[in-house]
Amino acid sequence: MAIITISRGSYSMGVIVAEKVAQRLGYAVISRDLLLDASDRFHIPEFKLIRAIHDAPGILERFSHNKQAYLAYIRAALTERASSDNVVYHGLAGHILLKNIEGVLKVRITADMSYRVAREMKREGISEKEARSILEKDDQQRRKWTKNLHGADPWDSNLYDLVIRIDRFKADDAVDFICQAAESQAFRTTEESLEKIRDMALACRVKAELVDEFHNIGVTCHFGNVVVYTKDKSRGAKLHKQIEAVRTTVGGIYNLEIHSAAGFPPDAV
Amino acid sequence: MEPLTTDMILVMAMIGLAVFLFVVEWVRVDVVAILMMVILPLLHLVTPKEAFVGMSSNAVISIIAVIIIGAGLDRTGIINKLVKPVMALAGKSSSRIIIAISLTVAGISSFMQNIGAAALFLPAIQRISKMQKIPLSRLLMPVGFSAILGGTITLVGCSPLILLNDLLAPFNLKPFGLFDVTPIGLALVASGVACFILFGRFILPQGESEEGTGDDHGADHNIAYSDQGEMYELTTPEDFTHYRDPVTILDLRQRYLCNIVAMTEPPDFKTVSPAPETALHSGIEIVVHGRKEDVDRMAAAEGMTVKDRLETYQFELDTSKSGLVEAVVAPRSSLIGKTLPEVNFQDRFRVSPLSIFRQDETYRAEMRDIRFKAGDVIRLFGTWKRLKTLQQEGGLLFSIPTDTEYMRPEKAIWACIWLVVALVMIMAFNIQLSVSLMTGALGMILTRVLTVDEAYQSVDWRTIFLLAGLIPLGIATEKTGAAAWIAHSVLSLIGTVSPIVLLSVIGVLSTLFTLVISNVGATVLLVPLVVNMAIAAHADPRMAALVVGLATSNSFVLPTHQVNALYMGPGRYRTFDFLKAGSLVSIVFLVVMIAMISLIYGV
Repeated sequence: MAIITISRGSYSMGVIVAEKVAQRLGYAVISRDLLLDASDRFHIPEFKLIRAIHDAPGILERFSHNKQAYLAYIRAALTERASSDNVVYHGLAGHILLKNIEGVLKVRITADMSYRVAREMKREGISEKEARSILEKDDQQRRKWTKNLHGADPWDSNLYDLVIRIDRFKADDAVDFICQAAESQAFRTTEESLEKIRDMALACRVKAELVDEFHNIGVTCHFGNVVVYTKDKSRGAKLHKQIEAVRTTVGGIYNLEIHSAAGFPPDAV
Repeated sequence: MEPLTTDMILVMAMIGLAVFLFVVEWVRVDVVAILMMVILPLLHLVTPKEAFVGMSSNAVISIIAVIIIGAGLDRTGIINKLVKPVMALAGKSSSRIIIAISLTVAGISSFMQNIGAAALFLPAIQRISKMQKIPLSRLLMPVGFSAILGGTITLVGCSPLILLNDLLAPFNLKPFGLFDVTPIGLALVASGVACFILFGRFILPQGESEEGTGDDHGADHNIAYSDQGEMYELTTPEDFTHYRDPVTILDLRQRYLCNIVAMTEPPDFKTVSPAPETALHSGIEIVVHGRKEDVDRMAAAEGMTVKDRLETYQFELDTSKSGLVEAVVAPRSSLIGKTLPEVNFQDRFRVSPLSIFRQDETYRAEMRDIRFKAGDVIRLFGTWKRLKTLQQEGGLLFSIPTDTEYMRPEKAIWACIWLVVALVMIMAFNIQLSVSLMTGALGMILTRVLTVDEAYQSVDWRTIFLLAGLIPLGIATEKTGAAAWIAHSVLSLIGTVSPIVLLSVIGVLSTLFTLVISNVGATVLLVPLVVNMAIAAHADPRMAALVVGLATSNSFVLPTHQVNALYMGPGRYRTFDFLKAGSLVSIVFLVVMIAMISLIYGV
């Protein structure tokens, strides 16, 4: 269904705006509880998921498979929620988790640094210097994150459909803009976009089931036909067995194939 | 022992580089060879003349001539003519059939390129498998191994043996004659076939001999029920096109994985294998190939009715007019590296691809993104007429019921004559191998067995450059003394051993090398080495070289040899199957080889 993701520089009223939008449109709000959901379902302690999504990958992390796995779990939980409800997501890295899905309204709420520092000082009761350093560090982390996975700066406006300066507009104005955009032609739910979300949810789910054992796989799903791409031929037999198990656990799969000879297509999860 | 010089180190570095590139396959093997041809003179390890001496070497000329002669024989269809009498001789027993075909292929392979013989016989074997109801997986591996073993029967049977005399020349050793290896080769073929006859039950995958279909062979992981699909006739509802965008054949394929192989254009124009972009109309009949659950799902979702059997298309799709084939992508096919849309496959040939099979995976979804490799199997449906056109195009190997010789049987006599002439020149008059074989090739061209352009086209440049490029590496290894140095180092490590043990060790080494760096590479690298080792150990250097030449054909454990790679798809083999059968055959090979050599040459 419809998905609005609100990305924000930290402490810039993004949460308030998100909740108001959700209330106005009658959508559900997801944020931290998504991680709880993923943690429950895939039996990973929540703090690990938080770390995966919050801390930027270090040099050594590129070789760690855990982050990929955790991302897969979170993505699976998010797309599954999104395929049955209208949602507003304002958690971390929404624009990355929801990459490749059509019809997602990507909003960024941003503000001038001095505005944010002032708010942070008031909230936490700390000095200006401390507040500024906290904010800068946080921004630095997110920038590293997005650059690593997306090759782009989170402050790059091309990643978003709508960028709103919350220090210039009031929160209610921002809510108005977002609701209007959500109801415009481009983001309305169609039969096709619904199918695409469902396919995406299936692909994410299949990947989440497999990623623990098989780190380097890509999954696509078109019309309920799932294809698992892998580069590692040596564990083929094991993968086949696991796939059969997945087929029974995950419903709604019409066809399941493994392609180990081709490269990952661009829309693979 | 000579001290280590810079040149020696450079040569060893070059060898290391070549081996590394062969293993990682960043560039193709022949490109690696060309790289060697260029680097070695630049590093002053060989003179420029020596760098390219490979191109004019006896080995390369002989190979060119052998390829042309093989192509000429192929053109006359004479080889396929052999199948009938051989089958008549063999009778009905599957063991005898396996023996008969294996021996025939081994014989052909003894003077043709192994891969050429293997590709040539593949359609015939598919036919035999269907007719005699023997599972293809029981036939292909023994035949494939026999094609490789047959290359050890004569000196022109496989590239390593052809190379041997050229590699021995720098040492002033007596060259081998054409049939010097024949007793050993025959023993190897016999023992290989015996392995399969006696132990086939244990080492071959059993495979199902499905009655009737004959299309299913062996385990197939991707499809849970070994269910390849059936033909169903359906009717589209009267409101099929209402209130929606046109639905094309490709759309239905992507959504339900059902292939529409025939369709009616209103009012009653029937088409077989319609183009993927064609849109469906309301109230028409279509024939679909797919799994029952997918067809039922499509019918339910799209409001189509599934009929009990083919009604409207009963005549057009009768088995005398059309059917299914499993086509194998040949080693030099123009399909390799391309996808179906890229070669405009369906437009050009008007047949319907149903699925692709590679190694042990079936691809039904996203077929249009698959880039082909040699040995891939494409399941096709079409009219026999169109399939024949596809067959004549070349590049895909398969058999169809109405296989008639479209080739040149009247030239068969000439082809045989020239082959005999070449053999007589070698045996009776002791004329150089390369000259005799080239005479045979020329004769075939002059008597129009094949045109000179066809002759050129049949030559596989990859093999030529591979040979030509690695020969200077061998020269450099010997010239700089690196070969002697390595040989002495190895010997001082292992101490004095009896000649038989030495030869066995060389055999095992060659087998291991050939699995990773191709038989030619292994031969060129090892021959200078082992000759030096043999001289230092007071063993017969010619025998050591012979062991290398033979043992580099001992490539059965992994499907790296071109023949095994080709047969893997159609035979539905997995790497594990090769490990099983290959280990046994490899060990038997080494034992028989050493035994025969000591018997005949008294080592």
